[in-house]
Amino acid sequence: MNITIQQFIALVFVLFFIARLWQQKRLKQINSSEFSFWFVFWLLAALAILFLRRIDALVGNFGFSASGIEVLLYLAVVMLFYFIFRMRIRLARLEREITKLVQALAIFNNKKE
Amino acid sequence: MEKIYIVIPAFNEEKTIARVIDDILIANENFQIIIVDDASTDNTVEIAAKRGVKVLRHLINRGQGAALKTGTKYAIMKAADIIVHFDADAQFQANEINDLIKPILKSETDIVFGSRFLEKKSDIPSFKKNFILPVARLFNQIFFGIKLTDPQSGLRAFRASAMKDIDWQQDKMAHCSEILHNAHKNNLKIKEVPITVVYYDFGQKFSGGFAIIKDIIFGKFLK
Repeated sequence: MNITIQQFIALVFVLFFIARLWQQKRLKQINSSEFSFWFVFWLLAALAILFLRRIDALVGNFGFSASGIEVLLYLAVVMLFYFIFRMRIRLARLEREITKLVQALAIFNNKKE
Repeated sequence: MEKIYIVIPAFNEEKTIARVIDDILIANENFQIIIVDDASTDNTVEIAAKRGVKVLRHLINRGQGAALKTGTKYAIMKAADIIVHFDADAQFQANEINDLIKPILKSETDIVFGSRFLEKKSDIPSFKKNFILPVARLFNQIFFGIKLTDPQSGLRAFRASAMKDIDWQQDKMAHCSEILHNAHKNNLKIKEVPITVVYYDFGQKFSGGFAIIKDIIFGKFLK
């Protein structure tokens, strides 16, 4: 399989992120499910880079004029939107937890007075 | 005699809080007042405390819905029979609390909402009256199937025992819609009574309506 210099650089990046992920798991900074999710994500990214020409052909078969790398970019944007949404949900959940603490403290501090 | 608690969330209301407390006690000296200070930076707490009413303090600002819930929880801890939600900005008329709680005292209903659109005339800013509030009414009708004349009213009274059915999670202004929705969903007896609202400023803007819709949508994903 011939790979271009751009593909090679992209693969080095992916390898770097997988190595970092492995290190985070080893230091117990992330849990198993988070590790699995990101590991599969980077693995798919590496496969997409390796088989970019196949993706080009696949996209062509579906009748799209865009090349494979463009489709990957579109997918990346969709995924980014999804991650932002997930972060907003997590933030809203944290806000709710903070409110519970503030409410409990208001009543607790009143009891102390 | 029924124990009636008036819960008032307050955020930087030093100009009006004393008048609101005094007016409520003139309306009925047996009303128990709980001020929930939502981390004011002015003298709201000092002024309220001088009036001898209960003041609970949020260490950081959490919004009107959260402050109402703190006060409501406290009132329930104190074995309240009826809980009234009131505003600290002097827009509501304290003597109308008596009209509000009457249907509950007569065991006709579980929850009563004050309405600016019944017999009494409130001087509502025209954009709010003719656009913002009708849109809010339509939103509540379409998405929650609730037909009330004033679904965004902040003046309400309910039996303390109804809290388990209306318990709201929204910290900010979306609590109005959530309380109404929960009351409707749990088949509580709902009634509206006419109230008068005096507007000193515009209050919630159109952008606030979008924030409410956004909070309701996000709230759905948190359950």
